[in-house]
Amino acid sequence: MGTSVQVTPLCGVYNENPLSYLVSIDGFNFLIDCGWNDLFDPSLLQPLSRVASTVDAVLLSHSDTLHLGALPYAMKQFGLSAPFYSTEPVHRLGLLTMYDHYLSRKQVSDFDLFSLDDIDAAFQSITRLTYSQNYHLSGKGEGIVIAPHVAGHLLGGTVWKITKDGEDVIYAVDFNRRKEKHLNGTVLESFVRPAVLITDAYNALNNQPPKPQRERDRDFVGGGNVLLPVDTAGRVLELLLVLEENWSLKSLNFPIYFVTYVSASTIDYVKSFLEWMSDAIAKSFETSRDNAFLLKNIKLLTSKSELDSVSDGPKVILASMASLEAGFSHDIFVEWAADVKNLVLFTERGQFGTLARMLQADPPPKAVKVTMSGRVPLTGEELIAYEEEQNRLKKEEALKASLIKEEESKASLATDVNSSDPMVIDTHNKHPSLDGLGQHGSRFRDVLIDGFVPPSSSVAPMFPFYDNTSDWDDFGEVINPDDYVIKDEDMDQGAMRTGGDMDGKLDEGSASLILDTTPSKVISNELTVQVKSSLVYMDYEGRSDGRSVKSILAHVAPLKLVLVHGSAEATEHLKQHCLKHVCPHVYAPQIEETIDVTSDLCAYKVQLSEKLMSNVLFKKLGDYEIAWVDAEVGKTENDMLSLLPISTPAPPHKSVVVGDLKMADFKQFLASKGVKVEFAAGALRCGEYVTLRKVGVASQKGGGSGTQQIIIEGPLCEDYYKIREYLYSQFYLL
Amino acid sequence: MTSTGQPPSLKRRDAPLTKEGDQLTITPLGAGNEVGRSCVYMTYKSKTVLFDCGIHPAYSGMAALPYFDEIDPSTIDVLLITHFHLDHAASLPYFLEKTTFRGRVFMTHATKAIYKLLLTDYVKVSKVSVEDMLFDEQDIGRSMDKIEVIDFHQTVEVNGIKFWCYTAGHVLGAAMFMVDIAGVRVLYTGDYSREEDRHLRAAELPQFSPDICVIESTYGVQLHQPRHIREKRFTDVIHSTVSQGGRVLIPAFALGRAQELLLILDEYWSSHPELHNVPIYYASPLAKKCMAVYQTYILSMNERIRTQFANSNPFKFKHISPLNSIEEFSDVGPSVVMASPGGLQSGLSRQLFDKWCSDKKNSCVIPGYVVEGTLAKTIINEPKEVTLMNGLMAPLNMQVHYISFSAHADYAQTSTFLKELMPPNIILVHGEANEMGRLKQKLITEFTDGNTKIITPKNCQSVEMYFSSEKMAKTIGRLAEKTPDVGETVSGVLVKKGFTYQIMAPDDLHIFSQLSTANITQRITIPFTGAFGVIKHRLEQIYESVESSTDEESGVPTLRVHDSVTVKQDSDRHISLHWTSDPISDMVSDSIVALVLNISREIPKVVVESEAIKTEEENGKKAEKVIHALLVSLFGDVKLGDNGKLMVSVDGNVAHLDKQSGDVESENEGLKERVKTAFRRIQSAVNPIPLSSS
Repeated sequence: MGTSVQVTPLCGVYNENPLSYLVSIDGFNFLIDCGWNDLFDPSLLQPLSRVASTVDAVLLSHSDTLHLGALPYAMKQFGLSAPFYSTEPVHRLGLLTMYDHYLSRKQVSDFDLFSLDDIDAAFQSITRLTYSQNYHLSGKGEGIVIAPHVAGHLLGGTVWKITKDGEDVIYAVDFNRRKEKHLNGTVLESFVRPAVLITDAYNALNNQPPKPQRERDRDFVGGGNVLLPVDTAGRVLELLLVLEENWSLKSLNFPIYFVTYVSASTIDYVKSFLEWMSDAIAKSFETSRDNAFLLKNIKLLTSKSELDSVSDGPKVILASMASLEAGFSHDIFVEWAADVKNLVLFTERGQFGTLARMLQADPPPKAVKVTMSGRVPLTGEELIAYEEEQNRLKKEEALKASLIKEEESKASLATDVNSSDPMVIDTHNKHPSLDGLGQHGSRFRDVLIDGFVPPSSSVAPMFPFYDNTSDWDDFGEVINPDDYVIKDEDMDQGAMRTGGDMDGKLDEGSASLILDTTPSKVISNELTVQVKSSLVYMDYEGRSDGRSVKSILAHVAPLKLVLVHGSAEATEHLKQHCLKHVCPHVYAPQIEETIDVTSDLCAYKVQLSEKLMSNVLFKKLGDYEIAWVDAEVGKTENDMLSLLPISTPAPPHKSVVVGDLKMADFKQFLASKGVKVEFAAGALRCGEYVTLRKVGVASQKGGGSGTQQIIIEGPLCEDYYKIREYLYSQFYLL
Repeated sequence: MTSTGQPPSLKRRDAPLTKEGDQLTITPLGAGNEVGRSCVYMTYKSKTVLFDCGIHPAYSGMAALPYFDEIDPSTIDVLLITHFHLDHAASLPYFLEKTTFRGRVFMTHATKAIYKLLLTDYVKVSKVSVEDMLFDEQDIGRSMDKIEVIDFHQTVEVNGIKFWCYTAGHVLGAAMFMVDIAGVRVLYTGDYSREEDRHLRAAELPQFSPDICVIESTYGVQLHQPRHIREKRFTDVIHSTVSQGGRVLIPAFALGRAQELLLILDEYWSSHPELHNVPIYYASPLAKKCMAVYQTYILSMNERIRTQFANSNPFKFKHISPLNSIEEFSDVGPSVVMASPGGLQSGLSRQLFDKWCSDKKNSCVIPGYVVEGTLAKTIINEPKEVTLMNGLMAPLNMQVHYISFSAHADYAQTSTFLKELMPPNIILVHGEANEMGRLKQKLITEFTDGNTKIITPKNCQSVEMYFSSEKMAKTIGRLAEKTPDVGETVSGVLVKKGFTYQIMAPDDLHIFSQLSTANITQRITIPFTGAFGVIKHRLEQIYESVESSTDEESGVPTLRVHDSVTVKQDSDRHISLHWTSDPISDMVSDSIVALVLNISREIPKVVVESEAIKTEEENGKKAEKVIHALLVSLFGDVKLGDNGKLMVSVDGNVAHLDKQSGDVESENEGLKERVKTAFRRIQSAVNPIPLSSS
């Protein structure tokens, strides 16, 4: 009877690879997360490529590469075309993260896995939801309701709840229970007994040190610089706020710089995401209209040149990427690593196999090999060669174009029906180019020149003239209905298009990179960097640690639990733990292994007749009201089962004692009634003689009996009955 | 709800049949057949929701409040505020701080941010004119702590009341609330507009059809001109006035539509360089403060503004300068001034109006809906003369233009909105009585199928509706392993949470709910020195089922009584009882305890007897008293005579009664017999069992 649920991991199980999972609910395939690592290794996406076309909807949970990095690539290469769902910040910051990645890569390599247009295209089709919005899917997914909930960790971070027929499937990775400066803690704990919970084992073996230790106080040893490799738009927000506050409090005047290709627009957007942030931030805005992200102490830089012009002297730089594989952080690291005065401060564990991860090893490596690449303008012979090549291309093209035009003009003179525009044909000429971007300008020039190439048939140069002859049929001119569609929408469309393109609000630096027409090439050289600067790791990753993950899991107590994302040891550890303390059904599937977590729940619906309900007396117990019913099954007119009052006397039933006794609470309760109570040898001694004990505590919520066993014993005396009376008052008897 | 055109009285007659809880009541406490002080009270299944909490801008003091005394504020669970306008939110501090209201309040982020600024300003402005302040700035500050925020589409549940909100389009942060109580949905639109403008989105169409739609009817059956025509008229009027050297006054409420007009003006000025020497003033320090809010909550606005935002902030105006007070204003040459309040009641807009109204070169553009009773409403009809603030009359020569930009739905929007939703019940509020009546008539002709009821309640007039909601339960877990056939019985625990019901086996309780069950095992030891066999013998006399066996561990004999209580001989001196708590076992155990104690009591007889003697003496005394009292009640004069006899005298006849033997001596035979019988009866009542038999 239950809803069928299957989970197939596509990436990121038994290791810390990016996350990507296929969850199929009654045949409707959700792709939850679509991550890639900072190395952009296409081999990781093999499993995804095989199923991409069958995906019906994509849910994104966080805005970093590990959760959505492969989206543009998958859209382009694998034909992933399902609708996407995410929260507004995940959409927006995810877009910026991808821009930053692309620009960082493009700067140093001929990166061609995806382009900015691919990123834009991928993010255009997203449906944005707000937290706790119940979104009813239609069509194939009829009856399925999806709802994002607060996850903590990153701005807009989402715990997805997928509901069908009252059964919940919850996907919760990288959640954070702790309330932070800019984020509220997760609401995962408010879900109780979902049918399936998919969660990560990433932090199962990590336990955070207590908070005071984490409070940073950074000394500047002898005027060194501090580099914090950060992500583009995720955890960095929290760090910015922490630094901003510290700097204001202690009135430090070392400059802080936040350097990514998109830092300015990141902060601009983040300023308008107050709805998604913590209550404290919302409140401070409501009362004083102080936007927390109006950063006073932090300067935003978006290009290398700006960074170079920064004055010397001790400073703090937050730069992307966190992995040190690319971006500003990579360059700065190489530059600074050799100086003992400098400090590299990691705030989260680096992705597996990246430079950051290598440096976080214990003990840190003395020297690391890095590849320095850069885009340099062509000079000397190369430039000449390039220009020649360009010229050759241009000539070829011009020749080709003129040939075509010749034909065309002939054609048009012969009033043959061909009204196409030369421009169109021109664009069909694909240039085999060294640098697609650099081509832009020259091609444009070609077009201009093209226009003035005299048709061979004409005597003198003249503007090309093409007769737009129209088709005639028996009814007169052929009417193309499209011509008459009112183009009212067009303006808006156009505005939105530009909007879409300009969404990223590319900062000047990056814009210049894209529009850069100077011919350039990528040079790489491998060099070994002596790591002399100090390396410090401070945990600011904003995920719940092992202990709190376990306690959350025990609280949520899913009927079935699926573990993903985490090293093999961590996964195994958490699996064993959960088998013992959470529920008997714990799964940790391998990549592409489909597991069936369909609940074996039986259920049917009945109508409660008015007559029956008028005889039912509810007892209130917290949020619940409970009652015992004995009823006879009947049918309503529309063939529904209904419950009617029973005609024969109800059969006796074993009485049910409902309630949850907490010994400590009960002790207080008794004390308040004037009974002398104390704990002795695991039992509660009440008064002189009576003892109260709880045996076989139901630690395993999901399985076992789940019934508390309470033993009260004592000699026959008045106290005994009194205490029994108090004990009964803690329960409801049905 | 199948009453096709039946008069409401028929509905009433059905009422006693349905349960009280099925009655849904909607009562406008304000905005019923009027515009202003929106406040709609709704209750269903003893859950109560209040929509909006406004004041009436044309009145002041207590008179401006909605009729709060009609309801008990302490019973309200949730209060939902649709947007920040005074007629929807301004009595909130009063309601939160000065009444017994203890529920929760929700509004959107943008509404909350502007609410505070707006009301603080309102308090400041009205301080001058009103003595009996409804609330002060502290009240507003405190109310801020109580207000919770809700994002568009976010579903919140309070006490089983589920609600969420949709974009309403009216002003920044304006919301329409959908409330779902036990499956009955009510949509409250607040003020809404289905037309997208320069910065706001159009109101959304909810994907669910509500059972009841409480909808605004401000514009009744009027139709708006298309937006671009209105904008053109607006800019044309301004352009021609200033080019003729006149001044333009735009009285507008500081927030909401004013921002839209400023966007239009700023854009127009940008594209008309010849106007650059004509200043535009925006006289509202409040609006300046609110700009931060407008700059932040762009997510609540439309795509257009978000696109612009990507390049530069459209709310940083290039051609508009702020104006703080009339003193700063140097009135030389043509200018355009936008000033609040919109109704020209007082303040800067009125000061300027008084100054400019007699010059025919000037014009006044009224850009939105104006409330009945304000000067702005009066001048729309272009009277010859107007009364100035100082009481003098002045000719009204300036041109008055009424170009409505107020983002309320017009008839076309309302009727398409309702046709899409097809709610079975429509309640019109927030409209002036005549407009509302016309709208009702026109809607009735549109919804001719007769299944739609359109109601226009007045303030405090309750609309009662009955929804016989079917209660559905889901049987789950072990209890549901087999779907039962008709006639079979189902027994289990019915668990209700909010408005959802589940039936389950008690063992499954902890799986499907947070409730847990418990077993309480009791063990009690009783001193007993006699033979165990005696207990067994006595128990067998009372209970049908007494099984004896021996304990496996200690080898001591045990008895299992009534299959629930185990009696065990722990040692020579003690026996113990254990059982699992439930009412029957408890009773069985109590009887065993009593029985064991009785056996024990019989052995040390002396103790028992001495006690018994004592009680016998007491009993004797008591009995004598009782006898005396009863005799007095029967015969009146009863005295204790000599030799312990009682003297009963009735009408001069005397009878002597010997209490011990019951002998009566009397001369009057009748009396003798009666006393004798009375005494015998009293005796048998006091000592039912003759002492001799013990």
